[in-house]
Amino acid sequence: MIRAEAASLAYLDQGRKVYACQEIDLGVQENEFLGILGPSGSGKSSLLYLLSGLKIPTSGDVLYNGASLTKMPEEERSRLRIGEFGFVFQQPYLLGYLTSLENVLVSKPGESRVDEAMELLDRLGLGHKTHRHPHELSGGERQRVCVARALLGFPKVVFADEPTAALDHSNGLSVVKLLNGMRANGSLVMVTHDPSMLEEADRIVRLADGRLLHSN
Amino acid sequence: MRSSSDTEGTSETDNRNAKDAQSEVQLSRKRRVLRPLAPSTYLLRNAGKTIPLTAVIVLAVMLVSGIIAMIDSIPYSIRIVYRYAKEETGITPRGDPSLLPQLVSTIKEHSPVRIERIIICRASSAIVRSIVGKWPFVMLGLTQDDMRYYAARQGCGRVIGRYPNPGAPEAIVSRPVAKNLGLKIGSTVLKPDDIENYAPDKIKVVGIAETDRWFMIDSIEYQRDNYFPPVDDALIFAHNSVDQNKLDHWTVKKFKGQRPLVFAYFQIEQNTREMFATLYLILNVVISALALVITFMMGMLMNIYQSQRLVEFGLLQAIGYTKHQLLRRVLLESVSVIALGWLLGLILTFGLLNLASKVLMEPKAYSLDVFDVQAYCYTIPIPLSILIVATFTVILRFRKFDPVGVVERRLV
Repeated sequence: MIRAEAASLAYLDQGRKVYACQEIDLGVQENEFLGILGPSGSGKSSLLYLLSGLKIPTSGDVLYNGASLTKMPEEERSRLRIGEFGFVFQQPYLLGYLTSLENVLVSKPGESRVDEAMELLDRLGLGHKTHRHPHELSGGERQRVCVARALLGFPKVVFADEPTAALDHSNGLSVVKLLNGMRANGSLVMVTHDPSMLEEADRIVRLADGRLLHSN
Repeated sequence: MRSSSDTEGTSETDNRNAKDAQSEVQLSRKRRVLRPLAPSTYLLRNAGKTIPLTAVIVLAVMLVSGIIAMIDSIPYSIRIVYRYAKEETGITPRGDPSLLPQLVSTIKEHSPVRIERIIICRASSAIVRSIVGKWPFVMLGLTQDDMRYYAARQGCGRVIGRYPNPGAPEAIVSRPVAKNLGLKIGSTVLKPDDIENYAPDKIKVVGIAETDRWFMIDSIEYQRDNYFPPVDDALIFAHNSVDQNKLDHWTVKKFKGQRPLVFAYFQIEQNTREMFATLYLILNVVISALALVITFMMGMLMNIYQSQRLVEFGLLQAIGYTKHQLLRRVLLESVSVIALGWLLGLILTFGLLNLASKVLMEPKAYSLDVFDVQAYCYTIPIPLSILIVATFTVILRFRKFDPVGVVERRLV
């Protein structure tokens, strides 16, 4: 489904070339829960951005269903992200002036999704808070709204970048369980530094200094 | 251990909470969901930001259109006060009474249009007031028959009181003149001890002509008996305003460079335009500077507000909104705010001008055009320049915007 082929992401730091990811070869299969584990600064998030088309590799390639994301125009990559992917970021970013329901709808705008969004929020235990604004929700509830936003429209791949970072352990675990339990037939690619969050993962790959160590 | 009553109390509370939650779910389902990313959603839900932006535009529009309307009211007043001249072509032999019969016969013989009436009159000076001070006006001395014709020609349908008697120190003034000088029937309009509104006797107002034109009339006999030099003038009337205008131009051209002096309405308009040309030039510079300052200020405000929305833009771009979609959205929001501010500004200006006209101007018969198109048109550069600056700012911001920087919290 997604394949990184010798994908590297380098940037210049005071004239010196620094690799966030180096020569990564990795595939994400359909309906797979792939965990990317590594310490802070190991390049996990950068790898996630490469796999999701948020960043373009400086060398190598990332293919989605055979199509090169590197060669894909920016607009098309955006359309791919909104059409086929879902995202959960470290911080529970929500638009403060929108209600929980509207924040969910943002990912797939259109009235026809209202019932689906309501159902997602219901299943995430927020059915009674659909018209609350983010400032009226706890951190865990906000992240659950983000999960609902990522899952709306049955995305083919959900990318989660340390979704538990801003939560306590039990809340974090429950968010991961929800993500995994509700992703339907989609794949889940989750980045974390906490191995206990990947108990349900089908496969875990480890990163250190931007390089893939091994997978199990 | 909890007692049974405690347990009952807790379960009652739980039931109540569950019912509350259930009713909120039902309420949630009933509530209308706005389009989350519609410009109106953002603008309505961020009134704290929308209102100041709108208010600045409203104030700017009111300021500019208000200044222009007030300035415009001066030439407008000139046109209104001397509007009576549109109905007549005035000619004076400039101190040589023997010239007048010859002038009149020349006009009768060679006029390009049919003449309706020629009135021989006398004229003495008076003063009326305007928002910029005193302006010269004319007290026409007419015969009994000519008074009535003249008043009718100036649109007078009704006279309160009567016309001045022949040779008597009496005058009839039109309604705007009465308002302007605070005159009623029995008031003195000209008097011996008033150097601006002088007459050898106290001239009493005996009639007020109901019309919107400005005029003052006394009897020609009184003027002939009391004023020097003993020179009559002529007022020539064509059948309609088109012919009158032709006659005006012909007469001015005919007597150009000769002793007689012609009074024509088009000259008043021409002189007014020339008189105010420099003022409008200065005004253009001032308004341009003002528009520039307002635009700069609005640009800065919009920039600040957009900086506060970096997370929103970053998040939306990260989840798949294209730069074009975001740009279009922000521009639609800007257009909405700018258009709203501009329209509100125009509406408020119209209301304010009406109020100023009713309360300040009308009681003194001062003229203020509340439908002054020029004043409203002068505000057009404000929304346009703000829109250009807003577009430019937004494009610059989005050109190198990196959503990853936002979701990684490097840019926030």
